[in-house]
Amino acid sequence: MRGAAVVVGVGESTYYKRGGATESEFQLACTAIRRAVADAGLTMADVDGFTSYMDRNEPVRLSAALGVGDLNFTAQTFGGGGNGAAAAVTLADAAISAGYAETIVVFRALAQGQFHRYGQAGRPRRTRGAGAFTAPYGMLSAAQTCAMQTMRYMHEHGVTQDSLAEIVLTCFEHAQRNPRAIRYGTPLTREEYHASRWIAEPFHLYDCCPENDGAAAIVVTTAERARDCAKAPVSIVAGAHGLEHRGGVAAFSYPGFPTAYHRHVGEQLWARAGVGPQDVQVAQFYENFTGPVLMAIAEMGFCEPGELNDFVADGNIRWPNGRLPINTAGGNLGEGYIHGFGNVVEAVRQVRGESTCQVENVELSLSVSGPGYAPGSAVLFGRG
Amino acid sequence: MSVLPEDWALPAPTAITEAWFTSRTIAVQTCAECGSRQHPPEELCHRCGAMSFTYPALSPNGTLHSYTVAHYAVNRALAPHVPYAVVLVSLDDAPELRVIGNMPGVPIEDIRIGMPVVAIWEEHHADDASVVHLPQWQPR
Repeated sequence: MRGAAVVVGVGESTYYKRGGATESEFQLACTAIRRAVADAGLTMADVDGFTSYMDRNEPVRLSAALGVGDLNFTAQTFGGGGNGAAAAVTLADAAISAGYAETIVVFRALAQGQFHRYGQAGRPRRTRGAGAFTAPYGMLSAAQTCAMQTMRYMHEHGVTQDSLAEIVLTCFEHAQRNPRAIRYGTPLTREEYHASRWIAEPFHLYDCCPENDGAAAIVVTTAERARDCAKAPVSIVAGAHGLEHRGGVAAFSYPGFPTAYHRHVGEQLWARAGVGPQDVQVAQFYENFTGPVLMAIAEMGFCEPGELNDFVADGNIRWPNGRLPINTAGGNLGEGYIHGFGNVVEAVRQVRGESTCQVENVELSLSVSGPGYAPGSAVLFGRG
Repeated sequence: MSVLPEDWALPAPTAITEAWFTSRTIAVQTCAECGSRQHPPEELCHRCGAMSFTYPALSPNGTLHSYTVAHYAVNRALAPHVPYAVVLVSLDDAPELRVIGNMPGVPIEDIRIGMPVVAIWEEHHADDASVVHLPQWQPR
């Protein structure tokens, strides 16, 4: 389906532990956007659109503060959580391919040290809607929600705690090569993983994404405009953002439970791209928690659920020798939790040859967003 | 007996959830037109679009489908109550429908996937003097 849009710039702010940022969240957003535009060899006056997901830094304010040109397109995805990261790229691709805008910045800024912490919950008094069926029982956080899915998934498919650990250890190992990573210089052992406290069984502390402060952005434009840009363009081969029939039923009563919400996304993505998982050299899987990463690997078609233990063992998902290196910048767990947008930036870097864990001869680079929350999304990048 | 604070969050029953939270039965929303069942209740039938429903009582028997044990208190008020288990129960009369609950008085280490369970109801008095009956689960 390859559309008209390509990626020409990437940028991020410094990534901080929660509360560590000296800048405001809005300033972090602006820094990431300015760096991405500069990386593209463009100016702010060239930007005419913004897309994001769950972001409170509105393009109306951003465009004024950044001095962008005339604004032609803005959009955010529906649906909660980091599942919108790849979808926000497809929004930009759709808008540019349809001619509504020429140069769109896709971004996400999130400073949990300045706003609500994702790992905590308010105290609801009386609950309505779907929350009435979960909150009264103390089922309140994303960790608990994904734990409920993962516990069943492990039971059905024999997935082991050590396979959960493998996701964490892979991310931390890759982060040791990335100076931008919050966990740079602080590796983790398997023993430390298993000894860490429980958050919500089967998740230990290290199965859970950290709460961080930072922002990341990419610049998307037309192939024609990309000829003026500083670096070789990265194509958006295909994107998918959706949900299978009745997948949106609340409170764990959807027919496909347990699911990462990526079965339909995978089918759509590979059909649109005209390739399959076997054609991908490197992938970024959004880690809210380790369990949904494993589920997403299977649902995107890389292996059967019963093969997951072997798929992730023995360095198979680690750089440089794994058959599918994942989360090569350290991912949400090791590089920093910018609501998953770092995984989009890293997928682009792999095509450019700019990763700190660079896979050789990358033709196709996948980024899968927000498993465990509906609707899922994924985007496939390739050489321009 | 409740595993959470006595004054923890309660549902505010609405037209479509009142039967579930007040009847002391497994009152599953059933379409008055086509007979389709759905849970949690929704404002229209997913199959035919009708907006009128009945709430017949299904068997209180179920099978434990999944669970988690919360060790981290996501709200300060829960800190004295962790660890606590939250269970997901598949209804024996409608296995495709699943219900969240706790297992008051049951040791966490006794909870396992596949165990047969039966619903009980906890009576809660809200600030506005209304009464809510929360379904909970016990081994059977």
